[in-house]
Amino acid sequence: MMFRRHVIAVGMASLGTVLLPAGLVSADERQDAASALIDRMIADLKDFLATDTGDVEARAAEIDRVLGTYFDMETITRFSAGQYWRVADTAQRTEYSGLFRDVLCGTIVRNFDQLDGLDYTAGASSAKGDKFVMVSGTFTDTKGVRPPVKVNWRVLTPEGSPPRVFDIEIENLSLLVTQKQENIAVIRKNRGQFTALIDAMRARLDTPVHTN
Amino acid sequence: MTVCLVPYCMQRRGSSTPAIAMALLVLAGCSSTPPAERSDSRDHYEAANRKVFAFNMGVDSYVLEPVASGYRNTVPDGGRAAVDNHLRWASMPSTAINSTLQGKYENAALATLNFLVNGLTLGFADLSEDDQEVHAEDFGQTLAAYDVPEGSYMMVPVLGPRTARSLTGDVVDFVMNPLQVFGTSNAADTLRTAQAPVGAVTFRANNFDSFNDVKYNSLDPYARTRSVYYQTRISLLEDRVAASAGSAVSEDEFDSLFEVSE
Repeated sequence: MMFRRHVIAVGMASLGTVLLPAGLVSADERQDAASALIDRMIADLKDFLATDTGDVEARAAEIDRVLGTYFDMETITRFSAGQYWRVADTAQRTEYSGLFRDVLCGTIVRNFDQLDGLDYTAGASSAKGDKFVMVSGTFTDTKGVRPPVKVNWRVLTPEGSPPRVFDIEIENLSLLVTQKQENIAVIRKNRGQFTALIDAMRARLDTPVHTN
Repeated sequence: MTVCLVPYCMQRRGSSTPAIAMALLVLAGCSSTPPAERSDSRDHYEAANRKVFAFNMGVDSYVLEPVASGYRNTVPDGGRAAVDNHLRWASMPSTAINSTLQGKYENAALATLNFLVNGLTLGFADLSEDDQEVHAEDFGQTLAAYDVPEGSYMMVPVLGPRTARSLTGDVVDFVMNPLQVFGTSNAADTLRTAQAPVGAVTFRANNFDSFNDVKYNSLDPYARTRSVYYQTRISLLEDRVAASAGSAVSEDEFDSLFEVSE
């Protein structure tokens, strides 16, 4: 009896020593993978910026490629429509997905010049629950004119799939949450009609962009 | 990538009593928007707020934007930095008092030291050699620390977005302005009078591109401004710091993402 209890105790302890480090390694691995993803993306963007001629179409193509390679666009799109994603039919979802990507791409291309002359320094990373890892960093103006900008990359780290960027927070401001709240406001102003958001996005894309 | 901000910082860099009084008068005459017609449950006066926002955008187009554009193009970087320094210095007494009231004694000491050292130049030159950053604290944050409810969202004429709590805090912070308390000379009067409009222009100039992106290129500039205001305010209230891989957004915000499987 005593021997059996001892065997069980040893067995439990062994199981514990096997499982505990495995769990810790897994959390560390998620953070490492997320940080590595951001490093790769920054290196990729730097390569493009080094040869950038200012051509808007080339920039749009590059941004589209970066979004497809490093971002979880499907989940981002779904999140950006909030609870109204559920009421949208398949055709609306498809149309919205395309428009959302175009609007996002346009926003980044419009602000692309702001990336010029910036240096990126990677910071710490931390797990946010079991689904996200937050990777921090700082953009610094190499000319020292603009103040440093703190940035957080919220990376989705699903089990069995490669990590993908889900959101960018600049100076504590989430770009995705801002976009989602704006989208929801447009739908609610129009009595919950999902098509109102699609129409607003289409109108936005058809309107000439204001430049400073 | 764009950082889009709204002129919430004006609240601690020289608010003006007439604007606050005007805001209270406007709100007194407003009726609440029915919940079904609100695009955000926190925005009880959305219909009236949208009208004030349209007015503010008009003021921006005809006054603030052209002046800020000129300021950006004519004043050299050093001059702009000096003005920014002065405005930050003017908010130090308020930060010191509010930090103390919130139990943030280290920040209070830093703010006091900064105010005294830089007082030699009225804050135009930063003489402090301390690398540690003073975190701005206003009376709205102090009220939040004492669990005073934030109240409804409101768009204040000229000043921009506020909550009832932060607007109340503005009044107290206005009184804490060092030039209000100690300045009795003509020069102090001039500086005090100039602080609010100069604060507005420098804020607009410092965030020129981001502000214009919200104003001209977003689907609903009013809703985007409101979202940005709340996120910025929440991160200030909770002292979230991006550098430590913190987040401006509550994790609850993302819960719905995983409840929906389709």
